Formats: sequence, structure tokens, C-alpha cells
Amino acid sequence: MTIHLSIVLFLPLASGLVAALLPGRLARSAVLAGPLAVLAYVIVMLFDYESGGGLQWVTNDEWISELGISYKLGVDGLNLFLIALTAIAWVPCTLVAAFSVVERPRLYFFHLALAETAVLGAFMAQDLALFIVFFDLMLVPFYFLIGGWGSGERVRATTKFVIYTLSGSLLMLAAAIALGVLATPDGGEISFALSDLQQRSIAEGSQHWIVLLFALAFFVKAPLFPLHGWVPETYRSTSIPVLALLSGVLSKVGVYGFLRIVLPVMPDGAQYWQELFIIVAVFSILYGSILAFSQDNVRLVLAYSSIAQLGFIVLGIFLFEEKGAQGALFQMLNHGLVTVPLFLILGVIAIRARGSESLSALGGMAFRAPVLAGLFLVISLATLAMPGSGNFIGEMLILFGAFEDNLVYGLVASVGVVLAAVYMIRLYQGTMHGRVGSAVESIDIDRVNLAAIAPLVAVIVALGVYPNFVIDRTEKDVAKNVAAAKRVTNPEVSVIK
Amino acid sequence: MSATSYGWLVLAFPLAGMLIIALGWRVLPGRLPGWIGTAAIFLSFLASIGALVDLQDHPEDERQLVDRAWTYAASADFSADVAILVDPLSVFMCLVVSGVSFLIHLYSVAYMSGDRGYARYFAYLNFFVFSMLLLVLAANFVILIIGWAFVGAASYLLISYWYRRETAVRAGIKAFVINVIGDVALVVAAFLILDKIPSLDFLTVFEGAGAAFGQNDGMLVAACVLILVGAFAKSAQLPLHTWLPDAMEGPTPVSALIHAATMVTAGVYLIARMHPLFELAPTAADVGAIVGCATLVFAGTVAVVVTDLKRVIAYSTISQIGYMVMGASIAAYGAGLFHLMTHAFFKALLFMGAGSVIGAMAGIQDMDRMGGFRRAMPFTFVTFTIGALALAGFPLTAGFFSKDEIIAFAINRGDLYAVLAIFGYIGAFLTAFYAFRMVFRVFLGEAVPEARELEGGHLAHGDPVNPMTGEPEDTDVGFPGPEHHVAEQAWPMKAAMGPLALLAIVGGVVAIPGVSDILEKFLEPTFEDSRFHDTAPTTGAEVWGLVVGGLISILGIGLAWWVYVRKPGTAARARERFAWLHRFLVNKWYFDELYDAMFVRPVATIGGFSKRVIETEFVQGTIVGGATGVVRVGSTFARAIQTGYLRAYALLLLLGVAALTLYFLLNSS
Amino acid sequence: MSALLAQVQAPEIDYKELSPLFALVGGSVIVLMVGLLGSRFARAVIVPVLTAVALLTAIGLTIWIWEPGNRDPILEGALGVDTLALGISMLFYVAGLVTVVLSLRSLATEQAGHGEYHSLLLGSIAGMVVLAGSESLMTLFIGFELLSIPLYVLCATHLHRRTSLEAGLKYLVVGSVGSATLLYGLALVFGATGAMEFDAISGVLERGEVSPSDPLLLTGVALCATGLAFKASVAPFHQWTPDVYQGAPTPITTFMAVATKAAAFAIFIRLFDHALGWAELDWAPALAVLAAVTIVIGNVGAIPQRSVKRMLAWSSVAQAGYLLAGVVVHTELGVRATAFYLAVYLLMNVAAFAVVVARERVSEHGDDLRSFENLGTISPWLAWPMTIAMLSLAGFPATGGFIGKFYLIDASVAGDYTWLGIAIVIGSVLSLAYYLRLIAVMWMGRYEVELPTVPPRRVRPVAGWSPEADARAQPEVVAVAVLFAAATIAVGLYPDPLFDVARDVSSALPNLH
Repeated sequence: MTIHLSIVLFLPLASGLVAALLPGRLARSAVLAGPLAVLAYVIVMLFDYESGGGLQWVTNDEWISELGISYKLGVDGLNLFLIALTAIAWVPCTLVAAFSVVERPRLYFFHLALAETAVLGAFMAQDLALFIVFFDLMLVPFYFLIGGWGSGERVRATTKFVIYTLSGSLLMLAAAIALGVLATPDGGEISFALSDLQQRSIAEGSQHWIVLLFALAFFVKAPLFPLHGWVPETYRSTSIPVLALLSGVLSKVGVYGFLRIVLPVMPDGAQYWQELFIIVAVFSILYGSILAFSQDNVRLVLAYSSIAQLGFIVLGIFLFEEKGAQGALFQMLNHGLVTVPLFLILGVIAIRARGSESLSALGGMAFRAPVLAGLFLVISLATLAMPGSGNFIGEMLILFGAFEDNLVYGLVASVGVVLAAVYMIRLYQGTMHGRVGSAVESIDIDRVNLAAIAPLVAVIVALGVYPNFVIDRTEKDVAKNVAAAKRVTNPEVSVIK
Repeated sequence: MSATSYGWLVLAFPLAGMLIIALGWRVLPGRLPGWIGTAAIFLSFLASIGALVDLQDHPEDERQLVDRAWTYAASADFSADVAILVDPLSVFMCLVVSGVSFLIHLYSVAYMSGDRGYARYFAYLNFFVFSMLLLVLAANFVILIIGWAFVGAASYLLISYWYRRETAVRAGIKAFVINVIGDVALVVAAFLILDKIPSLDFLTVFEGAGAAFGQNDGMLVAACVLILVGAFAKSAQLPLHTWLPDAMEGPTPVSALIHAATMVTAGVYLIARMHPLFELAPTAADVGAIVGCATLVFAGTVAVVVTDLKRVIAYSTISQIGYMVMGASIAAYGAGLFHLMTHAFFKALLFMGAGSVIGAMAGIQDMDRMGGFRRAMPFTFVTFTIGALALAGFPLTAGFFSKDEIIAFAINRGDLYAVLAIFGYIGAFLTAFYAFRMVFRVFLGEAVPEARELEGGHLAHGDPVNPMTGEPEDTDVGFPGPEHHVAEQAWPMKAAMGPLALLAIVGGVVAIPGVSDILEKFLEPTFEDSRFHDTAPTTGAEVWGLVVGGLISILGIGLAWWVYVRKPGTAARARERFAWLHRFLVNKWYFDELYDAMFVRPVATIGGFSKRVIETEFVQGTIVGGATGVVRVGSTFARAIQTGYLRAYALLLLLGVAALTLYFLLNSS
Repeated sequence: MSALLAQVQAPEIDYKELSPLFALVGGSVIVLMVGLLGSRFARAVIVPVLTAVALLTAIGLTIWIWEPGNRDPILEGALGVDTLALGISMLFYVAGLVTVVLSLRSLATEQAGHGEYHSLLLGSIAGMVVLAGSESLMTLFIGFELLSIPLYVLCATHLHRRTSLEAGLKYLVVGSVGSATLLYGLALVFGATGAMEFDAISGVLERGEVSPSDPLLLTGVALCATGLAFKASVAPFHQWTPDVYQGAPTPITTFMAVATKAAAFAIFIRLFDHALGWAELDWAPALAVLAAVTIVIGNVGAIPQRSVKRMLAWSSVAQAGYLLAGVVVHTELGVRATAFYLAVYLLMNVAAFAVVVARERVSEHGDDLRSFENLGTISPWLAWPMTIAMLSLAGFPATGGFIGKFYLIDASVAGDYTWLGIAIVIGSVLSLAYYLRLIAVMWMGRYEVELPTVPPRRVRPVAGWSPEADARAQPEVVAVAVLFAAATIAVGLYPDPLFDVARDVSSALPNLH
């Protein structure tokens, strides 16, 4: 069968619009139909996908010829599983939302659907400008979702979030346009299609600042130290399903941009900043981990832990070497897969603790909620990259790459692995074990959340048993995309054997 | 069926058992989960025997069989399959592990009944056995590390099994983190090796090692030391031992299985498995030997003074593993593994006995409160004493042969190793002493109330308190349960302890100098490539060693008898005499305090600092605050000049025109 | 005698080309007459209709005479009717129509008299058309004044509101200063080059008969720039903008915001990119600096505003900065970008102002942020257009604003003014602060949003309606808002038609690189 990416891309939005027009109850089912359909479609893609077959199911139409922007979508190893992650993540979050949101539900669902379309678009886009369009478009629904349905200082938080992220991505916009213009040969038509940009090369000097601006945008999005100023407030005041998506999926779009755009198109620029970015990444690993276990609010524990995790991913990418990049890509998937259920579980826990989210008030929930505890345990162990989980393979590949590049980076990163164990076990024990918390009344997980979380856990376990399913499908394209940067870094290495 | 398919079966049964119990916990009635778990392990044991038989059919040089299931992960030069290696060593380990595990499961069926987490307990226990077997069957580093981490996780889960106990929770995270340190060390070691030999499969690595690394190659030494770190973390050797005594928070059968018989000896297995690497890096091997020796003495001294029954045995375990690590490191692989096996028998037995006694004491573990159980619990008394004899290395018991073989080998290798041997004998003396310190203090002397109550056929019941802190237990869940069990009243416990007692006595027959060398012969295919293959001590030397060892153990036992039976109160006087020494030992040489000061507190401080200062001052203050501040100032300025008065506008206007005109005039020629 | 007559050569008049102008002027006169009729119906209904008719006729005629490419000016080289003029005047007509619709229920029309109001409006538009098409210094000034004078009056048509009168007065004073400066500048340019027609001036410069760096010329240029900067409200000559925008009746504000700006930039393009094109090296850097300053000041000034009209005024200052970037680079791409952005600018601002009109008629808080609280739930049909307008102004994708900014940055970078592109970006970041605030007020509940510390002004609803009166009572306003918001999105998704127009517009100018 032939896959039409545009269908996948706009299915959610369509269903969201339908849901917005339907009456309440019907809206629920309609809004669920969208993500489910996407998931089904993506599963078909996963098996229809020809491993190592380059860019597949390409859609390439003129959009804004005047500006050289084309509507070009495509899937290869680099984004296949990130698209899958998006499709997988949206189902449970929408499900949970469908049963928890009371106030202005239709609007909520519309934004949720729009968000999925935007994220899918960012992952599928094969045109730099189109990528940026979706990259910025993501902010709109999340701005409303956080500000409209959050809690506490939600407007402050959402404004901060959007300004932070958009200041990054607007600078990236300028840089991208500059890239497109500078890359255009005299008399040539300007084009932002990545394939063209890879052919055309631009002066190393201008690569430097362009890459820097791209990096700013991606680091803010990730987030990495010290550009994570928006994190605490946003994480505190975002509603759980949205937060799960924010932390699980959105954080990947930026780092994905490095692999998709920066490394292949501007290898010299990337190489110029390599050391600095690696140091930032490594520092983020340590900093995030240390803060993660000095937090009392469960959301913030995860907030900082994801800073550390993203540090790992960026580290892997900027090693300019297959193993590292492969590990990074795999880790993007894994981190998303564990983060989403983790947040959903935190939601479940908070309900059982009369909304309390501070470790000091929680505890001892495991006895009356064994299923909850069991699921949480599996996810926690996966999150701390327990050997036997996909996360372990991801981190192991990154570490191996790091060691090859520089033993010190590797060792520091390894410390991060140990710290991860500390804060995750602390989080698990703080909620499930120990004496029963003051506000806690322990009831086992409800059907909706079970239906949302259990499948994710199944996926996590499956990836732990057979990680090569992913690696095999991604390996070649990862190698292709780091090739240029690798060549720049150590010219003697002949690339693409 | 081939040995490898038996190998897969060995893994399959515990895994299946775990899944059945874990998923069916809601429907499985009464003791059924226990029986399912036990059956699973028993089948696994049978499968191991099958593997053994089949393996023996192969010719000597074809007894290292690898079987690949599927590619686990392959990227660039990194490639690992899900594969098992069936060779004499792994089969030997499978037999010991599954065998002992089976008996301990049997014991638990009775001992844990009445605990509210019955099904959870057996799910964990089966999961542990699966992981342990995966560990010993692994054919490459990745699978090894996976098993390695899984046993760590299982141990964590079982340590904090009674998770409403703060002490149990704390012990759990401690054990887990130290184990993760070990895991990471292994990962790094794996990298250092992969870097030189582009493979992670054991056999390939071992073949390629000689070519890739020179004698004592720096990288290889580093790798081996890291492997040792992993081993030490798992086997509770100095300086990573502190988690094991705390691990006694777990149920007693868990202590018997994981923290005595099987998991903690994984380190020994690892060193034996990696012997080709260690023989290329003697420096690392010596590190192992010295640390093992130091540990066995250190732990012995502590075991002499602590009064918590389970912790005495725990320190004794640390000490005994010290012997094994030393043995494996000085290339006495056979001896090391032999001691591993016998130790598994008698130490498991001792824990079971202890469990029975603790049951009789209604959960109390302090030896000061015990005494005179001899008549109340004859069966426990006999079996425990047998265990103690074996531990003390009393002539002709299993421990007698195994321990002294290690020491003999050390003497035989001479110089430095001879020194180690002397320490080994010192350790042996201490061992004999504290082993019988337990026997005499628990079973002889005045019968305590609990004992007398039991003689009346009635089991004592105290109100449940945490034996460590004395805080009242959370009776909702998470304490050893209201009802206790003693071997005398529960046949499965008897059924488990009996065979072990037997093995503790006759287990030595597999390797008696000059009489039998079954074990040596069996393990030969794995170790034939060893450089020290032929440097084994002569029978004569070994016999001499045995004689000396026998005498020392008798001496130790005698001293214990003198101190605790003949002249009670000697111990108290000695304590007053050497108060400082006692304090030092009873505080376990202050290791916990040291680590607390070195790692825990500093990290916490850094965390607080970053939270208070960096986050608020720098990230929020400087970056965010700075940006918004500038804008705010700007906007107030803009508002300030926007007075609404024309004159103000006119002024600015003129300035503007002037500036513009000036600029153009400057440009003009 | 006859011989004498023979010597007098009346300029040959090209009626076809001038037809739109005739339509406007004629319309203006007729409307004025009708306005004198006694019946309320005639005044309140016929007058607006006639005005609309006049504008529609003008649109029709413009399309009729539309013809891309560089064409010779008519009237002895005084007036250009090329696509640049025509294209931009389209914006005037649309703006005019909008103003008519928005004014339907405005008190301003009542108080000033419908006839006068509308005829002044048409007059002003006529002036803009002349200005946009002026090909000589003389026509430039005539157009400039013809545009301004009616506006001064229109600003003050809220006879019973002090602010309105104040606005009119301020505009008059500052505006006349601006005109004076401009006039002086024009005189100097003429003095320096000895030519009136832009072609001639450009020719003189091209042939080097006058050095581009001739002091006289440059002083003239400086003063011209100042004069135009006034109309375009480019910093530091922007200060009248907030006061006037806020004070004037909102329909008129709308008209000024979009039409006047368009006219100003049309003549900016003509004067600098055409007439003074060869002196680029002298004026471009200066204007670039002005643009950057304007971007910063405009955005920064908008942040602390509570009055939405005032906020939009400041934002229009910022937008002027963006637009100027397109002029600075002096390339065909730049002209296109400017033209394109002017159109988009019209769409999103009209949408925004329409909502303001609707709100201030019913809310006791007037155009204060408070009167937009929870608009999302009260009347989504107003909230959505406003939201879209704000997102577009902020440059979010899938809106015209994004494409427009993209185009401008593209032009700046291509014209070797990358730093100006960055300036535009930074400006957009700053602008988020106030655009998002308005959205938040509308959608995210009243208490969460922290409003600026300025005390809110208490004003009677402009229409004197009760606060309870519902926005649905003024369908035409809502219609305008929705229509233009929709258009904003449409352009954001499918901008090609507008690009074609922009290309035609740029084609009118010769010697652009």
C-alpha cells in the first residue's frame, strides 16, 4: 500500500475540528478517534518501512515558490520512530484528558489535536522553512493548553514558556533565512529544501553564527543548562496530560533538529562548537541529576531529570560518531516512552494524595495499589537506564561514543548514570514505599489510567527485549547524517563504508 | 536435546514462574504461589542436571557451547546477541544456584506463609533466580551486565520487601546505588575491552586478549580493576561492603539465598569467568587477592563483636567471600568455586537456622536476648551446629576442605601470597570463634522465656517492633507478619534444612586432596588455558594445610567454648578491658560514617547550593531577570518621554532632525 | 489673441488613467451634497452607501487600468499611475470601505455630520492616491497635504470628547511641522538637482551631474526623510502616534493606522528607491538605523500599555520599523516585501481595530485591557479574530504576519542588512510580551494575568450603550473582524496571489537591483 504522509499529518487536526463542532460526549470519542487512527497508520508505516531505504513516502509540492519554501514531507530512519513516539504518546494523553477535562473541553481537544499535527509536521518536514513553521506552530496550542487549563501561576508560566522558546526559534528563523539566502548560488532560485541545502554549501564563517542561533533555539527547547529558566514554573503549573507531551515529545523536536539539519547541512559550524556543546551537555547531565534529587516536588524531580537526559542525548549527537548519534536517537525515543507514563502516574498519585505533589507528604502507596506500584516500578527502572531496558542500550551507546571521543566526558557522564539511579529510586520510594503519607489514601489505579499506561509499559518492555528493532531501522540514516560532521572532525576517516 | 537448549530451559522456568505469579497474584489462593515458584525452580534444577549430563557427553575440548537467540543490539562496531554460553563453569553455577534456590524456596513456602505479600515475595524470588541464572549463562558482556543488574534489582526489591520499614527502605536504596556503581564499572570495563578487541563475546575476547593486550597492558589492568569494582560491589568486598549488613532487613530466606548463597558470590564467578584477562593483568589480580584477604580479616573482626544474629552471619558471609575472591584472584579457581559451593550450603543452612530461632524469638534478632534453645529446638540446634562446624572448617566438614585448599594454594604460590595465606589462617581462627560464639550463646546456657515457652510447645508472640530501631511496625503491611514459624513446626523448613545439613558435612567429597578431584576434572575445560593450571599444590602440601587448618579451627572453637561456656562473663570483662577496640569494631570500623561524610553530605550540599544559588540567582536572576529588567527599564523610559506635551515632542523632534541632518552633512563631501 | 491661446498648451489629460481619482473626488462632492439633505435616512444610510459606491467604483476602475511594468508618468510627468501607485491605492480603498462600515454606528459621524465625515474621508483617500502616485516633488507635497488636512479634522470628530479634540489639535500642530520640514526638504532637493520630476532627479544623479554626496542635496534628503518619517510614524518622529491613535474615533484610527502608513511607505519607496536611488549609499545606512531604533522603541513602548488602542499605536510604530527595512535595502525584493507586508498589515490591524470598536461600544472600560477579559467565553466571534490578529502581528506561522516577516527578513539578508533582519526578530520577541498579554486576558481568566500598573481609565462606553448591550447588536463590525482575520489566515496559508501583486508593484520601479 502507499502511505500518504499528509493524511497522517492532518488527521489529528481534522478530528480536532470535528470534535470542536460536536456536542460534548460525541466530541470525546471523536477526539480519541484522531490519535488512534494516526497510531494505526503509523504502525502500518513501521512495518511497511524499508530499512535503510533512504527517504520514503516523500510528498514534495510547491508551497511558497516566491520564498523557496516547499511542502516537502518524508520519513527515514531519523524520524520514523520519533513520529511513532508522537503517535504513541498522544493516545494515552488524549485518553486521560478526555476523562479529566471538564472546562471548555472542545477547545481543549482542538488545541491538543492541533498540537499533534504541529509536532508530526516538525518531524516529517524535509524543508527547513516548513520545519520552522511547524516548530513555531507547536507553541500556539501549548500556549493555550498551559495557560487555559493549567493551575497556579499558569499564565505567568505559559507566557514565560512561549517567550523563552520563541525567542530561540525566531533567532533560528533569521539564521535559517540567512542560510537559505547565503546558500543560493548567483542566479539560482532560493530553496529551503534540506536536500538542496545539503548540496549547496555556505562559507564556514557564516556557518558559525548560524549554527549558534540554531543551537540556542534547540537548547531552550530541550532544555539544557543554563537555558532552562522556563522549566520549573511551566512544569509546576501545566496539567498532567499536556505536561507529559511537553516533556516527553516536544523536548525531542529540538535535538532532532541537530541531527536532521545542523550536522548534515553545516558540518563546519557544528564542528566549530563541538567542544562547547559537549561541555554544556555534560554539565547539564550533572546539574540536572543533582537538582533532581534535591527537589521535593515530584514534577520538578522529573523536570530536572529530563534536563539530565537531554544532556545525554545532546552529548551523543555532538560526538559526530555513529554509536553516539545512534544512542542519542534511540534515547530520544526511550526518554519519550518513559516520560509520558511517568507523568501520567504522577497524576494518578496526586489524585490519591489530595493533590499534594511533595515527596514529604507522599509515601507508602504501594500496598493498596499494587498494580500502580508495579507499573511505576518498571517505568522507574527503565528511566534510570537499568540494563535490560532500551534506555540502557541508548545510554550505553552514548557512553561508548563518549569514551572514544574523550575518556573524561565518558566518566563524568557515567557519574550521571549513577545519580539517575539515586533520584529515580528516591522518587519511587518516596511515593510508593515508607510510611503512609499524611494526605495519602491509597487506591489502586483506575481503568482509564490503566488503559493509558499499561500499553506504554508493554512497549517499554518490548524495547528492552528487542532494542535492535529500532536500531536496525535507524542505523544507516543516522550514519548518513553524522557522516559530514564526522568527515570534518577527523578527515582521515573515510565515511560511509 | 542439546546442552544449550537445556540452558534455555534453565532460564525459561523461573521466568515463567515469575510471570505466572506476578500476573495471577489476585487469583492464586493460599500457598499456591509458593508452590508454583518452588516447582519452577525445581524444574530449572532438573534442566541444569540435563545440561550437565549432555555436556559430559561432549569431548573435553568441545565443552564450551554458545547459542544465539536473536541480535540484541548492533550499531557500528558495537554488537551483542541474546546468547548463552554453556560450559562446565556456567553449568556448575547453574547447579549450585538452582539447587540451593530450590531448597530455600521450599523453606520460604512455610516461613513466609501469613505474610501479606506472599505472592509478591515469590514473584521477586523467581525473578531473582532467573536473573542469577541469566548472569551465569551470559555469553557476552551485555547479557552479563543485564543479569548483573537484574539480580541487583531483585536484591533491592527483596531488601525493602517490608517497605513500610524506614530502615528497610534506606537499606534498599543503599544496596541499589552501590550495585549500580558496580554496573557502571562493568560497562566501562566492557568499553575498554571493546575498544581493543572489536567484540563483546566472551570467547572471542578471551581468544583475542593475548594478541590485543601485552602483559600488564595499562588499559587491560584498568579494565580488570573495573571488573573487580563490579565484583566487589556485588560481593560486598572492601570498600563497597557496607550495603550487605543493612541488607539483613530483608526476610531471612532472602538473606540465605541472595545475601549468602548465590548473588553475593557472583563476583567470584565473574573473576573466574574473566580469568584469561586477569592472568594477562597480574597486577589487577593481585589487587583482587589483597582486597579479598583484607576483607576476610576485617569482616571476621566485626563478626566477633556484633550481637545481631543475622548480622553476625552477614559479616561472616563477607569474610568467606573474601576467601573466595582471594582464591579466584590467585588463580585457585577450582578452590575458589569449591568454597563458593560449600559456602552456599552451610551459609544458607545457618541463615535458615537463624530464621527458625528468630521465629521462636518472635522477631527478635539480638543474641543478648537469646539462650538455651538447645532443648526447645533440637532440630534447629543440630543443623545450625553442623552449619557452624562447616563454617569453622572443622575437620572433614565441607568447609574444611574448601577453605584450606585456597590457603594451601596461596602458600604454594609463595612470597606475597604466603603472607596472604597467614592472614587467611588468622581469618580462619576468627571464623571458628564467632561461629561457635553464635552456637553457644543461642543454644546453650540459661533458657530464655521464649525458649521455655517453646518447650511448652507454644510459640512466643511479642508485639511487632522493628528489631533495628524498636519502632512499632506498621501492622497494616510491611513487617514479618503476626505469625512466626520454626523448623520444628513446619515440615517444609525441615525438608529444606535437612539436605543442606547433609551437604554441609559431605559436600567436600567432590575435592578431597589425594582422594577425589571430581570438581577439578569437571571444571578443567574452562580453566585449562590457565597459566597456573599445573601450579596446583602437591597432595602432600595440601594435607599439611588441612592439618594446620583443622587445628586452628579446633583452637577457635575451643576458645569460644572457654569464653562463653566454661567461664561466662569473660566476654564482658574483655569488652571493658578493650572498650576502645570494641567500640571501633562494633561500629564496623566507622565505614558508614566515613562514606556519609565523603559522599552523601557533600552531594546533598552541592544540591542545596545549586538549588538556592545557581537556580535562583543565576538562571532565574541573571538570565531571566536581566533580560526582563532591561526591557522594563526601556519601557518605563519610553513612557517617561511620552509626556503628552507638545513641547516635549517638539524638542525630541528637533533633536531628531538635527541628528539626521548632521549625519547626512557628515557624509557629504 | 488666438495666437496667444495657441501658445498656451493645456497639458493633455489622460482621463482613463485618472478615472479612479475622479471617482473619489466626485464621490466626495456628491456625498457632501447628500449630507445636506434633511432626512435622517438620507444622511445615515444613503451617504455611507454612496461613499462605499465611490470606493468600489475606484477599485473597479483601478483593476481596469491595471498594467504591470515601468510606465511613463502622466500629466507632464507629475503623476504616476503605475502598478505601485495602483496597488497601494487598493489598500486605501479597502481601508476606506472598512472605515465606512465601522463608522456606521459611530457617534463621530453623528456629531460631525455624515456628509462632512464621509466626504472628508474620500478627500483624504484622494490625497493618498495622489501621494502614492506622485512622480514629482510638487505632486508629492500636494498629495501630502490633501491627505493630511482632512485627517486633522476627522481625528477631532468626536466633538464631545476632550481626547478626540486634543488628538485632532496635536495631529494638526505636529503634522504641520512635519509638512513644513518636508516642504523645506523638497525645496533643497530641487535646489540641488534643479529638477522636479523623480525621473529627472534620478537621471541627474545617475549621470553624476550632481554628486550624490552634495551637501545641499543631502540636507534636503534628511529633511524629506524627517517629513515622511512623521507620517509613517518612524522613531524618533513617532510621538504623536499614541496620543492621536488613542484619542481619535476608533474607525478613524483604523483608517490612519493602515491607510496613512501605506501612503507614507508608497512615497518612501518612490522618493528613495526611485528618485534618490543613486544616492543609496548616503541615505540607506541612516534609514537602517532609524528602522532599528523604531523597532525597539515601538515594541518597548507598547509593553506597558493598558489601552489597547494605544498599544496598537505603539505596535504600528514597531511595524513601521519592519517596513522601513524593506525600503532600506533598495532592492526589488525589498519593495515587494514592503508592499506585501503593507497588505498583511492592513488585514491584521483592521481585524484588531474592529474588535476594539465592538468592545469599546459595550464595555465600561472602553478600550482598556479589562474590557477584553474572558472575551473567549463571552463572545468567541470577537475573541478569535483578535487572537488571530495578535498571533499574526507577533509573527506566528500559518498567519500572514509570519510570511510577511519572513519576506522582510529575507529581503534584509539578501540586501546585506542581516543585522536588520536580526533586529526585526528581536523586535518580534519583545512584541510577544504585549500581544500574548491581550490573548491571555481574553482566554485565560481575569485574575491570572498581571496587568501593567497604570491605573485604568474609566470611560463611558463610546456608543453610550449599556455594558449589557451585546456585541451581536453590531453584526457589521463582527463581520469585518471575522472577514479580515480569515483573510490573515488565508494569506498565511496561500500567499501566492498576494506575491503576484507585490511582484507587479515592484515591477513599476526601474533601476532596482
